[in-house]
Amino acid sequence: MRSQLGDLNLYRGELVRLAAMDPEQDADAFARWSHDSEYRRLLDSDPARPERAAPIKADMEKRAERGDDNGFGVHTLADDTLIGFVGLWIASWTSAEAFVGIGLGDRAYWGRGYGTDAMRLALRFAFNELNLRRVSLEAFSYNTRAIRSYEKAGFRREGTQREWARRDGRRWDVVSMGILREEWERASV
Amino acid sequence: MLAQSALLVGERVRLAALDAEKDAAAIAAWSHNDELLRLLDTDPARMRTAAQTRQDTEELQGKEQPKDSCYLFLIRALAGDRPLGLIDLAIPEWPHRDGWIGIGLGDRADWGQGYGTDAMRVLLRFAFTELTLQRVSLTVFGYNPRAIRSYEKAGFVVEGAQRERLRREGRRWDMVLMGLLREEWERVNTDALTTR
Repeated sequence: MRSQLGDLNLYRGELVRLAAMDPEQDADAFARWSHDSEYRRLLDSDPARPERAAPIKADMEKRAERGDDNGFGVHTLADDTLIGFVGLWIASWTSAEAFVGIGLGDRAYWGRGYGTDAMRLALRFAFNELNLRRVSLEAFSYNTRAIRSYEKAGFRREGTQREWARRDGRRWDVVSMGILREEWERASV
Repeated sequence: MLAQSALLVGERVRLAALDAEKDAAAIAAWSHNDELLRLLDTDPARMRTAAQTRQDTEELQGKEQPKDSCYLFLIRALAGDRPLGLIDLAIPEWPHRDGWIGIGLGDRADWGQGYGTDAMRVLLRFAFTELTLQRVSLTVFGYNPRAIRSYEKAGFVVEGAQRERLRREGRRWDMVLMGLLREEWERVNTDALTTR
């Protein structure tokens, strides 16, 4: 007999699925991606440093042991290739809100809807499973492709930290975005 | 000659080193001010023991060697040298030269007296002249208009609001983003930069 929750598969989207991070199998891919400086500079504000697989693996193991980590590997549905990650970081359980981070390390999948699909899955997990009220993120103003994708997933611009980042000798804004539970529900019916 | 002979001294307060051992009891006592805790951050209001406070402090600023990623000060009144509260400047990533500021005065009786604004002025001077930062940021809750006014007085500009990010007393509140650029600060603080 089917449960009354419906047959919704939380982890399965239209192009990708979310899977547990596997330290043994996935660390090499993350280390490989870290050698792509463009990827690193779109991802976060840390200095782009190539990383070895060993510390990445150790970090993944630590998270897995903690047992409350909401980070996922993003795999294609077509051939199950690991192409990136998406993770929710609960900033406050009392306010029920989280930050989301996403990165597609495999450039072959940029600009083709894979990231947006993964973000939609992360939001569904945030609102339907973790029962959060709000999800936030930040993006560099030079990452227009990502901002478009976040808007497609339902995020709104909420602010601009002026000239927060400095890269290639120029100053760039950091854009703050957010989505409320009600907005997500309205768009998801 | 350097213009600032007393970099960490303001008109009413000075920024002093924080001694994890000696100051722990005073800081722990402030954590019994529940109003402060709810103005300070998003953590559920929870009292801290002196031992926990000592550990927090050591983690933040480093135990033996100071950390480049955090400058933490005890705010002391110039009159009587009484400890009033804490102010800190976090620089998690030096390449972008942004500093993140947190400030709190422990005792309600000291609020609204100009101590916080003065401490902020001294910290900003330190951030821009000594640490050569490019900008400073902070966040403040929508229900804390006194702090927002004080930050605006110090030169901060509202840069956005994370809508309904906070839930307290059954209501939802915005988290206000504020920032101050080096050029904006320099324009109104030429005296801090001119050589005597």
